[in-house]
Amino acid sequence: MSSAEKQAPGRSNAAAGEPEGVLVPRLQSAAFVLPVTFMVVFFALPVALTAVWSVFERTMFWMEPGFTLFAYENFFTSARLINFLASMYHSFISVVICLILGFPIAVFVRRRIPQVAQHRVVLLFILPFMVSEIIRIFALRPILQRNGLVNETLMNLGLISEPITAILYTPTGVVIGEVLSFLPFVVFSGFLAMEAVPKYIFEVCDDLGAGPYRTFKDVILPLAAPGIFAGSVFIFVNGIGVALLPNTLGGPGAVNAGLIATQAITALDFPLAMAVSAIMMGTLMLLLYIGHRLFNLTHILDPIS
Amino acid sequence: MNGSAPAVEVRGLSKHYGSVVALREVDLTIGAGEYFVLLGPSGGGKTTLLRTIGGFHKPTSGQVLLHGVDVSNQPPDKRPTGMVFQSYALFPHMTVAQNVGYGLSLAKLPAGQIREKTEAMLAMVGLAGYGERKPHELSGGQQQRVQLARALVLDRDILLLDEPLAALDAQLRKDMCLELKHLQEKVGITFIHVTHNQEEAMTVADRIALIADGDLVEQGSARDVYEAPQQRFTASFVGENNLLDGTVAAIDGEWAEVSTPGGTVPVHRRGRTVSTGDRVAVSIRSELTRLEPADAALDPTMAALDGAYRETVYLGLVSAHRAALADDSEFMSRVVASHDQPSLPDPGTPVRIAWAREAARLHLG
Amino acid sequence: MVDEFGNLWVHRLKWAYLLLIVFSLMSPVFYVMYISFNENGFGAAEYVLTLESYSLIFSDKLMMTALQWTLSLAFCTTVVVVPMSILAAKFYKATRYKVLTVFLLLSPLFVAADIFGAALLVYFKNLNLMFTSVAEATGLSFLSGWFELGFITAWIGLIIYTIPYAFIVVLITMGRYRHEQTEAARACGASGWRAFWDIEFPQIRPGVFSACAFCVILCFNEYTRTSLLKGGFDTFTTVLVSQMLNEGMSNESYAMSSFVSFTAIAVIGSIILYTLIRSESLGQVARAKAEPNMAG
Repeated sequence: MSSAEKQAPGRSNAAAGEPEGVLVPRLQSAAFVLPVTFMVVFFALPVALTAVWSVFERTMFWMEPGFTLFAYENFFTSARLINFLASMYHSFISVVICLILGFPIAVFVRRRIPQVAQHRVVLLFILPFMVSEIIRIFALRPILQRNGLVNETLMNLGLISEPITAILYTPTGVVIGEVLSFLPFVVFSGFLAMEAVPKYIFEVCDDLGAGPYRTFKDVILPLAAPGIFAGSVFIFVNGIGVALLPNTLGGPGAVNAGLIATQAITALDFPLAMAVSAIMMGTLMLLLYIGHRLFNLTHILDPIS
Repeated sequence: MNGSAPAVEVRGLSKHYGSVVALREVDLTIGAGEYFVLLGPSGGGKTTLLRTIGGFHKPTSGQVLLHGVDVSNQPPDKRPTGMVFQSYALFPHMTVAQNVGYGLSLAKLPAGQIREKTEAMLAMVGLAGYGERKPHELSGGQQQRVQLARALVLDRDILLLDEPLAALDAQLRKDMCLELKHLQEKVGITFIHVTHNQEEAMTVADRIALIADGDLVEQGSARDVYEAPQQRFTASFVGENNLLDGTVAAIDGEWAEVSTPGGTVPVHRRGRTVSTGDRVAVSIRSELTRLEPADAALDPTMAALDGAYRETVYLGLVSAHRAALADDSEFMSRVVASHDQPSLPDPGTPVRIAWAREAARLHLG
Repeated sequence: MVDEFGNLWVHRLKWAYLLLIVFSLMSPVFYVMYISFNENGFGAAEYVLTLESYSLIFSDKLMMTALQWTLSLAFCTTVVVVPMSILAAKFYKATRYKVLTVFLLLSPLFVAADIFGAALLVYFKNLNLMFTSVAEATGLSFLSGWFELGFITAWIGLIIYTIPYAFIVVLITMGRYRHEQTEAARACGASGWRAFWDIEFPQIRPGVFSACAFCVILCFNEYTRTSLLKGGFDTFTTVLVSQMLNEGMSNESYAMSSFVSFTAIAVIGSIILYTLIRSESLGQVARAKAEPNMAG
């Protein structure tokens, strides 16, 4: 016993160790709660309060407490609603294109590339994501415009005789911008989603003689559905929420929720901006709820827990 | 510190996870220098008990006393215990020597002393000269030796071992078992060893405690637990016993007649009080029974049940003969294979299963 | 590779497709870089190689001040976000409310920049009004101005923006760590902090470094939230955007864009190289494990 005493002096006097034993863990657990608390105070709270502020009365430069649905009326009975719905439609098209282009890459990396190299290949898609969105989106102007890269190349190849002008400053331009901005996320979320599909399943499918289509439809899709859904929702809500895309690439009619909100703030119409935010949050919650009912989104966490 | 206090004393220890009860009111005393084994099926709570002694879990209620000092609210690093984990517990970014010396460097020993102690301890576990290797360069058995060295080098007087041999293959496990036993005798400190493997438990243990469903079922020396189990669970878990459930039909002095679906068997009360109609169980070790022709004369010191022969499985050292009792339940008799009868009866042949009357043991329901 | 009977050419075709997609995603960036070295700028018939546009950036006073602001924002954000993600990841491992925790930490990904920026802007304006009136009513003057739009508000906005990314990276790296090692360290006498610092941290270090790199780059590139919350000062991206909106794409804006792109690619490229070397050595470990030394 003397050896134990030498080893850690103070170990034996439990009473003296008491304050340390109680206080330090308490401080520690407070530290562990800090990030979550921070997120509640500066993320969840402001986002939730948008619904409250959206019914406040608008004043000249600010707003004051009250209850009016004027901001919602303003949103739902004007061209804003049409624009909002149109941006949803374009965003949906972008989601579909992203999935078609990007998800097969995730499947390919998971299936055909050795385990140790998989993360490296996925890192390749981080490269474009790490260059500022602003630069990538603004750079689409010189690429797509009348005398830009695409038209020059096509004309030099003799494929067209007149420059195509129907791309930039149209909804097509916005969709191209969205696909280029968000495609990496489909690869990431698809890659994580494919973690839910164990590798031996492919061998079982080969063994049973299931073709690629059946394997995809019957095995990959149901297992990877939560991850695919999460990736799609991400693209969808960012497509209708990022003002920069329609602002830079779209024409006069291309206005999405993000742009409505920023324009409202510039016009000092804060209740309207808050109403748009609240509508966006409502849309997001609705989508996540539907997804959760359909696929049980908690499965996304399986690989990391 | 109280010199006469037992090394470990657990009082009324309970551990709940939400509505799940992992340990229920466990009381346990382990003497200094004892090799104590916690044996039981997985999920039974034995690891929870060990980890609570080590300070990795906080008890829901009850106390853990080490050398008479209540340590229930102390973290592992403040307790006089060392620990060996099942596997994966070596620090992969450190060499073997750094692993072993880690605790000493935390205690701020001079570098020379650390090197000296580390080398001595590595030699003791049979890994002299392996100090500069990385853990992944070692085999499973060597990795567990490094864990042993890392825990023993600290000179703590209680060592906790959580399924230390579970990840090793069968032969290596047998060898390491004996080595653990010898090592414990050499260092003379208290070992508390958790396992689900009864052979491992019997090899190393001075005393064994059986733990199942969060309860401490029974404790005793390896021989007592094997030969004279008190509880039905012990009989079902340790050794290969035939278990007969029934009710007490009659009492005749020290002997009770137990009526079971397969027939009535006599059993010694071993000082326990039962009355007619009590639900009890009787266990008989399979190696103490034999199959006889149904018409042979029955020795009066023997007890027997009638059955029908089923099959024989040859297991090398022993052969296991199986027979069906009247209620179609199975009864097993194991005989050293070289003592087998040359010819076996046809399946379905009536046989008698016989054992010495003292071999049957009574378990209260 | 896995399918030994598969057609090698199909495999190569798939690889080619993958690389084509990466190239397409990068093409705007490459094009900007290409233009930035042309003395005559965009659309000129003649290509004259020059570095002049780059020297313009570094002689631009406004630009250099904006760069300083950007760097200090990026630094302050990273210093807060990375430890917070480690704490959050540890909290996630220990808590029973896993889904709620992850939802809270990852949902900023699902709230578009402008929407969140607007919400936080109004929140800070309200907080500022509240704090100021409390300060006036109680005389605790130090309370006023905490949440006036400025460095702190932009900082908070960036913390919320980057925390999901850092959290995921740290969490995935931590997923490979075996908790038994921490317990073993505790059994050796290490305190909780020592066990983390000596045993766990060295093993999650690559993830922590990647999280730092991500954080800095994301802050550097962020525009919307910063421009809404920054108050008076300018950052790199706000200068760039206002230039592009006011004067169109000038030679200098091409040079600025490619300059940050080069930096980001260099940082991420070195991370890829680093993981490449690391996974090579891990591969050796895996091979060594595959043929264990069975000498008892």
